[in-house]
Amino acid sequence: MGLDTIISLEQVSIFQKHTMVLANVSFHIDKGEFVYLVGKTGSGKSSLMRTLYADVPLKHGKITIAGYDLSTIRRKEIPYLRRKLGIVFQDFQLLYDRNVNENLFFVMRATGWKNKNEMQDRAQEVLDKVGLATKGHKMPHELSGGEQQRVSIARALVNDPEVILADEPTGNLDPDTSEGIIRLLIDISKNGRAVLVATHDVLQINRNPSRTLRCENGDVNDSVAVNESTSS
Amino acid sequence: MSEKYSRLSIRSSALTIVISIALVLTLLGITSLVVLKAKSVSDYVKENITVTVFLDETAKDADIIALQKSIDASPYRRATVYVSKEEAAKKLQEDLGEDFIKTLGFNPLQPSIEISLRAAYANNDSIAWIEKELREDTQVKDVYYQKSMVSAMNENINQITIGILIFSGLLLLISIGLINNTIRLAIYSKRFLIRTMNLVGATQGFIRRPFVLSGIRNGIFGAIVAIALISGIIYGLDHVPDFHFIGITDLKTLAILYGLVTVLGIFIAWICTALAVRKYLRQDIDSLYKN
Repeated sequence: MGLDTIISLEQVSIFQKHTMVLANVSFHIDKGEFVYLVGKTGSGKSSLMRTLYADVPLKHGKITIAGYDLSTIRRKEIPYLRRKLGIVFQDFQLLYDRNVNENLFFVMRATGWKNKNEMQDRAQEVLDKVGLATKGHKMPHELSGGEQQRVSIARALVNDPEVILADEPTGNLDPDTSEGIIRLLIDISKNGRAVLVATHDVLQINRNPSRTLRCENGDVNDSVAVNESTSS
Repeated sequence: MSEKYSRLSIRSSALTIVISIALVLTLLGITSLVVLKAKSVSDYVKENITVTVFLDETAKDADIIALQKSIDASPYRRATVYVSKEEAAKKLQEDLGEDFIKTLGFNPLQPSIEISLRAAYANNDSIAWIEKELREDTQVKDVYYQKSMVSAMNENINQITIGILIFSGLLLLISIGLINNTIRLAIYSKRFLIRTMNLVGATQGFIRRPFVLSGIRNGIFGAIVAIALISGIIYGLDHVPDFHFIGITDLKTLAILYGLVTVLGIFIAWICTALAVRKYLRQDIDSLYKN
């Protein structure tokens, strides 16, 4: 594991409830890397993602992510881990009872921001970054699916996280909008953040190729490892 | 769904909770009033028991006054009334509607002292002791009271008190259940919001705080409405002559009652909200969809 490694899995087993779906998973992701996690429905992608953001407890193996060891993490520490991660969901999971700015302010307040001017500046900055500079006062339901996903990405960026975990971020979007989202995530990774995108959108992978972790037959195959072994 | 509609829907949900809390607290308040005033009612009933002391016809006025004074000085006496032979005859004539003295040719009634007892002495054991003490006086010819009625009354009061306490306990449990259900339903509708808050790194305390504060606010509003309703009911009862005797508008009782309603409103709403939020904070996504 190098100094730049931000996600590390060693001999990890991933469970869906009581059923093991992935066994002996080991891989590392470095800062600034953009990585796809692919696999059929039920192959364990989402369970692996949920394990990474401590929504599913780690039962076997060792995961270190953004400096937290998930095998020893306490319930109280989970919110602080999640502040170091930006999580993007297929169904956006915005707070639909408040506008876009308030969605961002909520995360800021929850993570210790106090100064209103600084909060407004940061919200504007991340909305600029995702191309929604003028949509801060809109309610989530007034935005298109692609725009809602951009808000979700802006929300994930608010605390300048070291890792972005995107679980099927293009699952509800049309191909063109999907490409915009993937390109946005790639740009984010170029600024030094590790981005792990769970997807089954082959079209986007072909258009924007990158390192791919493939979940199949209870195992995770790393395209980098495969390429290295093929070339040697 | 517009923002305006969303706010309206939130307000209407809060209004439903406030109304539910208010109605349940009103019911609890009325029951508490019954419990608080049960002693006044039972004392009122007990203090209506009278012991009649029949006096010797030859007793001199001075002896009768001395006897009445000694009874007045005793701890069991609430009130005494001396009824002379003539007064007793007059009263009986009124009750019978005919002049029995004319028929009989003489007044067979005896002078008497009617003693109303203090509530604490209105039981057969105490009355037997009082009777024994009274009989020691040579002026006293007989002592009369309705023994069977006294024991039946005490038995009934005990049963009613136990009944009221059991009913109040059950009502309190049902009330907590009802308020809990209403609050839980309102928070259930926000379970995905709670999950989202959880996933963006908010601590459990940070997520719980606004829900609990809003729960306490609803509890306070519910208590205010309940106090207004209870006050209306008390005002109405106070104007019913039959209820006036229990001192329903006694300030101390009202202060205890309103304090109890407010504390219960806040406490129940707070606990129920905190427990409901805690439940959804700990549930995984699969359980959220199943529930």
